[in-house]
Amino acid sequence: MAATPSKFLQTPSKPKLRSQSNPKSSPVVTPDTPQTLYPRRSTRAKSLLFDAPKPPHTPLEISLTTPKRRIRRSIDCVDQDSGEDKATTSKISDKNKAPVVDASKKKKNGKNSIEVSFAPVTPASSEKASTRKREGEGGVVTRAKRRKSENREKSAKLPQRRVYYTKVVYDGGEFELGDDVYVKRREDASSDDEDPEMEECRMCFSSNDEVMIECDDCLGGFHLKCLRPPLKDVPEGDWICGFCEARKMGMEVQLPKPPKGKKLVRTMREKLLSSDLWSGRIKSIWREVDDNYWCRVRWYTIPEETSVGRQPHNLRRELYRTNDFADIEMESVLRHCHVMTPKEYAKASDEGDDVFLCEYEYDIHWHSFKRLADIDNETENGEEHDSDEDWNVDKESDSDTDEDVEYEKENIKNTQSKPSTSHHLAANLQKGQFFGLQKIGTKTIPQHVRSHKQTDLERAKATLLLASLPKSLPCRNKEMEEITAFINGALSDNQCLGRCLYIHGVPGTGKTMSVLSVMRSLKSEVDAGNIKPYTFVEINGLKLASPENIYKVIYEALNGHRVSWKKALHLLNERFVEGKKTRDEADRPCILLIDELDLLVTRNQSVLYNILDWPTKPHSKLIVIGIANTMDLPEKLLPRISSRMGIQRLCFGPYNYQQLQEIISSRLKGIDVFEKQAVEFASRKVAAISGDARRALEICRRAAEIADYRMKKLISNPDCVTAGKGLVGMVDVEAAIQEMFQAPHIQMMKSCSRVSKILLTAMVHELYNTGMGETTFEKLAMRVSCFCTSNGEVFPGYDTLLQVGCRLGECRIILCEAGAKHRWQKLQLNFPSDDVAFALRDCKDLPWLSKYLM
Amino acid sequence: MPVIAAKRTLRSHPSSPPRKSPRRCTAATPNSTPTKNRLGGADENQADPAAVKPKWNPKDGEQLKRAKMALHLSTAPSSVVCREEEQNMVLEFCKGCVEHQKAGSLYICGCPGTGKSLSMEKVKDKLLNWAKEEGLPLPDVLSVNCTTLTNTSDIFTKQILGLNQTQGKKVSALPLQQLQNMYSQKSSVKNMTLIVADELDYLITKDRAVLHDLFMLTTFPFSRCILIGVANAIDLADRFLPRLTSLNCKPIVVNFRAYSKDQILKILEERLNEFPYSVFQQQALELCARKVAATSGDMRNALCICGSAIEMLEAEIRESACNLNTSLEEISSSRQNFATAPDFMKKREFDTVKTDHMARALSKTYRSPVVDTIQSLPHHQQIVLCSSMKHFRGAKKDAILGELYKSYVGVCKSCLIPPAGILEFSNMCRVLNDQGLIKLGQSREDKLRRVSPKIDEGDITFALQGIRFFQNCL
Repeated sequence: MAATPSKFLQTPSKPKLRSQSNPKSSPVVTPDTPQTLYPRRSTRAKSLLFDAPKPPHTPLEISLTTPKRRIRRSIDCVDQDSGEDKATTSKISDKNKAPVVDASKKKKNGKNSIEVSFAPVTPASSEKASTRKREGEGGVVTRAKRRKSENREKSAKLPQRRVYYTKVVYDGGEFELGDDVYVKRREDASSDDEDPEMEECRMCFSSNDEVMIECDDCLGGFHLKCLRPPLKDVPEGDWICGFCEARKMGMEVQLPKPPKGKKLVRTMREKLLSSDLWSGRIKSIWREVDDNYWCRVRWYTIPEETSVGRQPHNLRRELYRTNDFADIEMESVLRHCHVMTPKEYAKASDEGDDVFLCEYEYDIHWHSFKRLADIDNETENGEEHDSDEDWNVDKESDSDTDEDVEYEKENIKNTQSKPSTSHHLAANLQKGQFFGLQKIGTKTIPQHVRSHKQTDLERAKATLLLASLPKSLPCRNKEMEEITAFINGALSDNQCLGRCLYIHGVPGTGKTMSVLSVMRSLKSEVDAGNIKPYTFVEINGLKLASPENIYKVIYEALNGHRVSWKKALHLLNERFVEGKKTRDEADRPCILLIDELDLLVTRNQSVLYNILDWPTKPHSKLIVIGIANTMDLPEKLLPRISSRMGIQRLCFGPYNYQQLQEIISSRLKGIDVFEKQAVEFASRKVAAISGDARRALEICRRAAEIADYRMKKLISNPDCVTAGKGLVGMVDVEAAIQEMFQAPHIQMMKSCSRVSKILLTAMVHELYNTGMGETTFEKLAMRVSCFCTSNGEVFPGYDTLLQVGCRLGECRIILCEAGAKHRWQKLQLNFPSDDVAFALRDCKDLPWLSKYLM
Repeated sequence: MPVIAAKRTLRSHPSSPPRKSPRRCTAATPNSTPTKNRLGGADENQADPAAVKPKWNPKDGEQLKRAKMALHLSTAPSSVVCREEEQNMVLEFCKGCVEHQKAGSLYICGCPGTGKSLSMEKVKDKLLNWAKEEGLPLPDVLSVNCTTLTNTSDIFTKQILGLNQTQGKKVSALPLQQLQNMYSQKSSVKNMTLIVADELDYLITKDRAVLHDLFMLTTFPFSRCILIGVANAIDLADRFLPRLTSLNCKPIVVNFRAYSKDQILKILEERLNEFPYSVFQQQALELCARKVAATSGDMRNALCICGSAIEMLEAEIRESACNLNTSLEEISSSRQNFATAPDFMKKREFDTVKTDHMARALSKTYRSPVVDTIQSLPHHQQIVLCSSMKHFRGAKKDAILGELYKSYVGVCKSCLIPPAGILEFSNMCRVLNDQGLIKLGQSREDKLRRVSPKIDEGDITFALQGIRFFQNCL
């Protein structure tokens, strides 16, 4: 009886070792005896116990741990050998947790099907597998080298094409877009392939059948019996082992060492959390011509690798999503892991050991944090994600078409050639190029229309969009040099002096874009090593619910932790006034850009006082750049606040017509579709009215749309092809200006009915004769009657005239009282009489109206 | 060559013995009379111009950083000059309270940038040193900036935390009640508590209860707190605490007046005296002191202007370096010896911050942005401003947008320019309102909004008189 269980234990270990070396093959072999199936079930059930993830340390989620414990107990009952106990516990489980047991049974069945696929195979395929393994190891490179090798291979195979996939079965695992995976970090790390099936106890270093518990602090597994004192049951809620408790009290603790001849084996989760592995999310998968599979991943990072390091509020299994992407070979991908949002993490019960929490995105360039929920709420990212999904699905279906593949490859080349410095910039670049929209509706567009290239006019329209960012910012070089000198003067080598800069100007003159452009150029200097690294935080005053929320936003961007604004104010005061820092890496300058600064003005202006007082402290290392429209904001503030704001001012004047012309020409560089006079005409018109660059771009884009529509109409009519021009001319620009600047009420009066026009003319004439501002319906009707008699028109009748007057009143062209007053109803014009004269003087249907309109 | 050698010789001796000896004599005699102090000062004044300092090298990055650091707002000087009288007044008041174990309150007022908070820091240090020398128990010091309080009554919580006492009996009571109970009965603790409340006017509420209760704490029989309030308003005690006068516990008021020309000059020289070289020309510092004293007397402004002047010198040096490289190339091509003399003269010109650097920094700071803004406006917006000026000329103070539009159309007609529509006119008025040139009210109807000017008519006339188009309209 004692010898039989050891035999059962030895039997499943051998097939596992062989199956690990031969993961590729999958012949189905029926098990020989039913006795061998039973120990596998129990083994898999054991691994479920210590692989269960722990919820985050919040009181709201403590109750969620209770059902997990009960699941574990029911599994324990099943495993016991005693018949009497089994009968008794089966009754209890049937009464209380019947559905849970059914769910666990279903999972067991799923596990069994996976087990069957790893049955032993013939020796010939094992030789092939070992050969492939050696080749794969040679191709492993580090993250930086991987990019270089990828670029090298791409340059060599540029004329050839690649095939994209949504799902791939590779090396024994199924990988899909959007999956989270482990990735190798070191080149010749042989221990990366080690993946123990079960975690070992930290005390006795063996993995037997007994129940294990996981410490919530060091994530180590312990047998219940090996603990001091031993535990009889799994406790409810959170549990910390004795070593972690002693370490928290400040004592030095030594973990038990493994016995001689035995090596301590780590799981992949432990390797990731100790910086021996990487993890990332698969964004796209493709196959090169040499049958190598590649994928593009978005990296995750552990808290130790951020600029502020691991902080007290970080959970043990917490990761940060970054905006760092890389192309890697599929050989480097090891297997799946699960990175979850806080809600999914709270609900996770038995997903295994490879479960992580991700709540924030970490910007690797600006060293700032952003909550994932805020990022997902933005519509741009949502649209981008939807576009990517459509593009990927359509790409797969169209991969056989040569023209489509070549066209898409050209787009991919253009996209990848531009460095994506930040997440926001990458989204705008793709959006400006219509990257995803090209494939929406592909199946309904005929072949010849789909394959045609973009015309110059269409490229011009895309370039003139407000959302597309230009590569350079013309006409603001002097201002950008001043901002650069301001920041360089503050960022010295050894110390950083706190400073303030106030930028003001009318809307649409490039204030925010200039500052962001300067920050991008400074980032390249940081990469070159000329400037010490710094933290950059950008805040828009319009996005704050109240001015006090700026403390919460600043603290969250600097530390990646969300607290209330009162606590955030206290913690920021500790950092900037008292000089308390968590780590040496956090002791770096901080540049704070506040857009729409005038919205932070409260009744007592304490928010502005605090933010502008921090740079005057010795240890703050804070640089504040405020942007607003109003010119006299420092004069409007309290004297103590304007005294602390300092004397650095920068004024962005409205663009004049030469600057606007240069801006439009720089955007249209390489695209020769506009006449020179047309651009100058638009620039002069906008410069005389507002000097707003947005307006000028909109006018030129609208003119390009009008010209494009005209050209397409000409193409459909082959007789008039030679008559049309391919350029945007003065006529198109004038039409766009008319649409933008003309008042809608004039267009309304031009397009109303005959009786309305006669009524309006009579009203203007009546008001001019009497010299008063308003008149009554009786007098107006008399005037209309005289007009109709003199000019041969049919008088419509008093009731019809009253209805027409009321309808004009509803449109607010005239202001009138209720129609029930009839002849004593008072009416007056809502617009100047010159507008009515301008609208109705050139009427073709009623040429005699011009006689009565002076 | 001899000049360079002289510079090197002077730099090897950074401190000259005759300059320090008068200070040592003054410090060695603590019982000296005021007459001797004045004589000592006179000796210092005579000795300073006699000791010729070497010129500094602005191209040296280390010296430039230290010069900027000395003029930064966060650098506290070793001694606060020009405020000795006020400091002594506050110090004597605190000494009396500590010595006699009685409470008291003090109110310090003054304009921003006049050294109030800095003086309070020095008074705290001097008080602690004095108590240590006299053998009295050291008072507890609590500094509170009232802008960092999320609630006005939090100042009492901070006061209790500063006292380091925990009474378990009355945890449920309010912090104010705890303080009142503590001060109503005799306690064994002998320490006095010095409370410095900066930006005191942020405690003002509608009923002024917090401010009143704070000053009333000093009237309790066994109170041991010394309260010093710091704010900008001169009449804060009279306006917000009238009942304190009837209760005979009105705080003593110490007024920090704005800095005068001589005081600003003295402070700047004291900050720059720690260097072995001279950074500024004497006339440049005097120009800065006069200008700042005439406008606001704000020391923060003076320090920022000096820093800006150093940056202007730095930019000039950077620009001169490019010219020097170009001229060196010319020298190498022409190979003439007399060309070296202008280079030598050029180098000597950039050794100090001169009056023109300071003048440019001052003009950059104090220039009115209204005229520049009006001159850079688009053409039609200038016409709108011109028509509004004509409309407001006379007895009228505000107008409706519709009336202003009629005036604008009239000006356009007289100049044969097609006017913009009324919607575009409304947009232009909104932009001018955003910039602060006119004030635009709210109304249901767009044309019934009230418009009133916010800038002077003379500014508009001065800005637009150079344009030929507006000569007939003005």
